[in-house]
Amino acid sequence: MWRKLIVISLTAVFLMSFAVAAPVTIQFWHAMSGARIQLIQDLANKFMKTHPDIIVKVQYTGSYNDTLNKTIAAVKGGNPPDIVQVYDIGTQMMIDSGIVVPIQKFIDQDKTFDVNTLVPQARGYYTVGGKLYSLPFNSSNPVIFYNKTLFKKAGLDPNDPPTTWNEFKKVCEKLTIKDSSGNTVQYGFTSGLIGWFFEQFMAVQDAPMFNNGNGRDKRATKAVFGSPAGLRIFNFWNDMVQSGIMINAGPGWSNPRQIFMSQKSAMLLTSTSDVEMMLKAAKENHFDLGVMFLPHPNGVPYGGVIIGGASLWMIDSHNTQKEKAAWEFMKWLSGVDPQIEWSTGTGYFPINKNAIQKLLYSGYYAKYPQYLVTVLQLLMSNVTTSTRGGVVGPFPQIRSTIEKALGKVFNHNMTVSKALEWAQDQANQSIEEYNSLYQ
Amino acid sequence: MLKKWVPYLLLLPTFIIIGFFIYYPAIMTFKMSAYRVSPFGNKVIYIGLKNFHSLFSSQEYMQVLSTTLIFVAVTVGVGLAISLLIALLLNEKVPGIGVFRTLMFAPYAISPAVAGTLWAFLLSPAAGYISYIFLEFFGIQPQWLTSYPLALVSIMMATIWKNLGFNIIFFLAGIQSIPKSYYEAATIDGANAAKRLFKITIPLVSPVTFYLVIMNIIFTTFSVFGTIDIMTQGGPGSTTTTLIYKLYRDGFVNYRTGLASTESIILLIIMSVFTYIYFKFAQRAVHYQ
Repeated sequence: MWRKLIVISLTAVFLMSFAVAAPVTIQFWHAMSGARIQLIQDLANKFMKTHPDIIVKVQYTGSYNDTLNKTIAAVKGGNPPDIVQVYDIGTQMMIDSGIVVPIQKFIDQDKTFDVNTLVPQARGYYTVGGKLYSLPFNSSNPVIFYNKTLFKKAGLDPNDPPTTWNEFKKVCEKLTIKDSSGNTVQYGFTSGLIGWFFEQFMAVQDAPMFNNGNGRDKRATKAVFGSPAGLRIFNFWNDMVQSGIMINAGPGWSNPRQIFMSQKSAMLLTSTSDVEMMLKAAKENHFDLGVMFLPHPNGVPYGGVIIGGASLWMIDSHNTQKEKAAWEFMKWLSGVDPQIEWSTGTGYFPINKNAIQKLLYSGYYAKYPQYLVTVLQLLMSNVTTSTRGGVVGPFPQIRSTIEKALGKVFNHNMTVSKALEWAQDQANQSIEEYNSLYQ
Repeated sequence: MLKKWVPYLLLLPTFIIIGFFIYYPAIMTFKMSAYRVSPFGNKVIYIGLKNFHSLFSSQEYMQVLSTTLIFVAVTVGVGLAISLLIALLLNEKVPGIGVFRTLMFAPYAISPAVAGTLWAFLLSPAAGYISYIFLEFFGIQPQWLTSYPLALVSIMMATIWKNLGFNIIFFLAGIQSIPKSYYEAATIDGANAAKRLFKITIPLVSPVTFYLVIMNIIFTTFSVFGTIDIMTQGGPGSTTTTLIYKLYRDGFVNYRTGLASTESIILLIIMSVFTYIYFKFAQRAVHYQ
């Protein structure tokens, strides 16, 4: 009898301990390459040390695009990750996917999490229809890096960068140097042909990309970027290229960086997440690096910039334990210390206000003012429907349509106004097609 | 005597694999071409032949078709001519020929994406080596990757370079299998080098050429999207977008699976028509030894 009781109670204790201590495993897929793979793994390791009941399996799954494709395939195959990093413009697609748990659900339940610690611009972007869908993680905005040494050589004040488009053009002209046979040996400005910048310059003018409150009040049904604001950007960009004071570096991010780092161009439009890389390059190539806000057209009220980058989405696994564990991890990642580690290691800015404060007090921003500019530009932006960024299903396609249109303009295939009109028509078509699926 | 069903049983594993990985996806592609599919596949609408209609009524798709035609014709034509020339040189008996042959074959061993990265780096505006050389020696600044038609020419160069090794090896093998006595006889009869090339070498390597033309058309049509994606992303405008690259963009960047399926069917039809015509007419011109 005693024996039986002992065996039963031991078994019960054993089973209970199993139920309590069995760690929950969650899969986390991300798209951060290079040194960032290790950085994210380190963060996960730190989390697991303090949370022994959760195992986070971190997997680098290629570019944003690859990661989304893999996620789609995994969802269809019935084996999706628990947390996945998805780029900004995939927001509507994810909302429509029917496979995500909006993190608003956990924010409402979890009293230990203060949503007000999140930087309002980052929170605003991923809030659609009053719900915060995903956790902002790596957030960036566009800035212009400039070569202070070349500014000095051209007789410009390196501590007084241009703030308006007219000033910017004039500075570019001064920074453009030609040799005796008329070839340009140094350009004023360079940029990749990247649709994201168009969207940013729309926000700078406080102009929306789509109707229905930029797609935030209701599902967007029309593109409205063919406005005077859009035309201004096309004209500005095209004038700069055609007059030879800017070199169009083509698609992608690496060519323009290379041009700027080798000092063939005095200014570069890129993402704030390049700040660490640029600081290193400036040191190696012996020039002083400056960072400036995006200039705005004269006589147009200033809006601000939109956050870019990506956020973390929770996939519905129909398993409360897993979802809880995933939320724990996400919550931890948005905390002060992980955000500081992430931000200082990459150049993405912290999405946690307290992390920014702590960095400021520690003297970090005094030592690296370039990092401060990247944060300040965003915090000084007005939070409006335009600067919160557009939300629309076929956003990736619309972005590349705008790139196509600009390419046509640069090559004289289309006039500026025709190209913009064409891009808007194409965008409307893809929106209509996409929306027809959800009616 | 084997039972009648035994061979079928032995073939079964192959059929199962082919069925799962080739026929099933192919049938699904046909099916999907009649639908509009949401990115995650959770919503589908039957739209019949609308995908076909929207492709054929789009000016852009017509442009992509003609770009592909020009691209494939030039790349295969020029590529094979250069390969034959180099193969002839590599057939000469000079010291260290083995090293040269290896070096020439090397590009084939790298992936199209790596080839694209390399060329994009060389042709990068302002900072690339080739751009630098053109400025220093010729005093011009061609915009290789960002202007039309240079962007298309750049992709052609990269693709030709990439396929060079494969073509050279086959040409070399073809040339070496031609009996020396033909050349000796021709020389005695007073045929010069050019005549020997056009009357002996080219006709006698024609089976190899025939094979290479087919292989090259397939390579250049299907595997070029990695190179394009890295060098130009189909731009400027859509002047370097070929059929396969557009398919890739629509399927995996724009998440329009239905439309991409339709494009792959069109690609299939074009390729089969082309192969049929080629086999039917070109075979007559081939000399078999």
